[in-house]
Amino acid sequence: MNPLSAIEARAAERLAGFPTFLRANGFAVGGGDAVQVLRTAERVGVLDADVLRLSLQALLCGRADEWRRFPALFDAWFLPANRWQRPARRETERASSGAQPGSGGSADGAEDATPDPARPRLAASRDAVSGSADFRTLTEREHTIDIEALVRRFARQLQPIRIRRQALSCRGRRLDLPATIRRSIGSGGIPFELAWRDHRRVRPRLVLLIDVSRSMALYSFFYLRLARALALARTDVHSFIFHTGLTAVSQALHDPDPWRAQERLHWIAQGFAGGTRIGECLAQFNREHASRLVHSRTAVVVMSDGYDTGEPRQLSQALAQLKRRARRIVWLNPLAQQPGYAPLSQGMQAALPQLDLLAPGADLASLRAVLPRLLDALH
Amino acid sequence: MTSSRAIELAALQQELARAGYIAEPPLAAALLLMQDLQRPLLLEGDAGVGKTEVAKVLATIRRTRLIRLQCYEGLDAHAAMYEWNYQRQLLAIKLLEHDERGLQQKEQDIFSERYLLKRPLLEAITAEVAPVLLIDEIDRADEAFEAYLLELLSDFQMSIPELGTVLATQRPWVVITSNGTRELSDALRRRCLYQYIDYPDYEKELAIVRKKAPEVALALAQQIVAFVQGVRGMELQKRPGIAETLDWTAALLRLGVSTLDADGAEQIIDTLSALIKTRDDRAAFPREVVARLAAAC
Repeated sequence: MNPLSAIEARAAERLAGFPTFLRANGFAVGGGDAVQVLRTAERVGVLDADVLRLSLQALLCGRADEWRRFPALFDAWFLPANRWQRPARRETERASSGAQPGSGGSADGAEDATPDPARPRLAASRDAVSGSADFRTLTEREHTIDIEALVRRFARQLQPIRIRRQALSCRGRRLDLPATIRRSIGSGGIPFELAWRDHRRVRPRLVLLIDVSRSMALYSFFYLRLARALALARTDVHSFIFHTGLTAVSQALHDPDPWRAQERLHWIAQGFAGGTRIGECLAQFNREHASRLVHSRTAVVVMSDGYDTGEPRQLSQALAQLKRRARRIVWLNPLAQQPGYAPLSQGMQAALPQLDLLAPGADLASLRAVLPRLLDALH
Repeated sequence: MTSSRAIELAALQQELARAGYIAEPPLAAALLLMQDLQRPLLLEGDAGVGKTEVAKVLATIRRTRLIRLQCYEGLDAHAAMYEWNYQRQLLAIKLLEHDERGLQQKEQDIFSERYLLKRPLLEAITAEVAPVLLIDEIDRADEAFEAYLLELLSDFQMSIPELGTVLATQRPWVVITSNGTRELSDALRRRCLYQYIDYPDYEKELAIVRKKAPEVALALAQQIVAFVQGVRGMELQKRPGIAETLDWTAALLRLGVSTLDADGAEQIIDTLSALIKTRDDRAAFPREVVARLAAAC
């Protein structure tokens, strides 16, 4: 073998290993992508790193967060170690200076050398998270089955909403002419079978906002499990956790692989079991996510005990703003099932006028009891 | 070192600029790759950052037609693919009643292409010259339609029971845009090249304003862009996109504004409706804020 082809073989190997590396870092890429990577590299050449990076970025990314993380991962895989470590360390310093609580995506895995090159560079921050929680119970077997049964019942009974747009249906009030004629062909042009149109019905979208502050420590895992089961049963579910800041957890929580779901939640778990600023978090939700996620068929479910260290006025303002967009706002309060509970805490007082339903729900039994009222309110 | 690909990339950027679109290297690289791999391009980003414009300019530089499929809720396969013109067919049946020809022939006549209404997808795959197929705001369509689209995007063929399978003569350039109101399926993302388009930075936006509104003096254009960038930095429900910047520029021109400063705040307030699109956001711009922003540019 001459030296040039040996270099080529090494380059090809490095390129082919790149999708695996991305996969280990949470990208949704498959085994077939190695072929595409090689084909792309053949087209664009490997000598110009910038062009190769831009091309592979378009090829291998699938969503906005992957798009943003890609350049760093590309450098980590292809450039010699001493050339990418420096920016990575700078990022770590920025993260440790406390600029961004809750974003566990710092690349501090760069320092310790490990034998496995495809190891996720982000997962190493797990040990450093002091306030993180134990996610192993998230997918425990026996409890999960009960929750899933309840959620299935809920999903089945959640009434679809009638919308203005019409579609083909088995019975209705208006005749669908094209479809009727289409069906009449089989019977020689005589319309024996009629086709109807009726208003379409769609299930409401669910947005879950889960409080994971310290006062909720007893309940937040139950709610997380609930959210996970809901997302597996239905498609249009979006989950967020909040304490002093708000984090989207849909992707991590809804990962069908339970082990990976745990792993990914670890990264974003900083700030668990801390204080709560509900109003601020809801305002953040309104600002960053509401315009995209909340429409007239969205039910927002807040799961929190209402112990708020922030301004009550901000909470009621944020809820009022959310109410203008959303169809329903339901608040599940785990404390509300205790005998003699009254929503007297400042947070609950501020929130109450804006809610469609305030329901108790700390465990399976209470949630089961409240299910009919919940379904009623959501419809 | 400049590779041949880098030269190609720069050439494409220039060509796009000539056609009136300022593209950054990532987008140009994706467009080149689209040609190599014959894959659709998925564009994501906030409303008003120029996603749809990419398809339009692509059609211009490839000198081909743009076929647009605007997605909406409840869009079904018929509205996207093809439909028989039933009313005309019924008429034809009546007219053919006293025709001498055999039944077979009559039937063939009724189910011929004359009575076929081509919708965007069929039109795109039957076109002689590969067109640009823009599937706009796919997140508004249902998941069922997305699944259906996947099938089309992988084989570029479509079967019409009465006519047989229609195979694409030329693979169209497919550009898909999404505003992210719904999470798209991984399967769709896997089949596409991906590009996230962000709000432009100062230099890029200035270049766009200069390109689209060449009659604006450089100094004013710089002020306009600085002002809009300032507005974008604020906490708003709906941040202004590039289209809003251009609208606002036109509005200012119309009023004969030649420079933005704190004294001209009244005129700026009069034209803000081109830039700010919700009531809550409007409330965030009292006179003092506008004056301060204007003074800063």
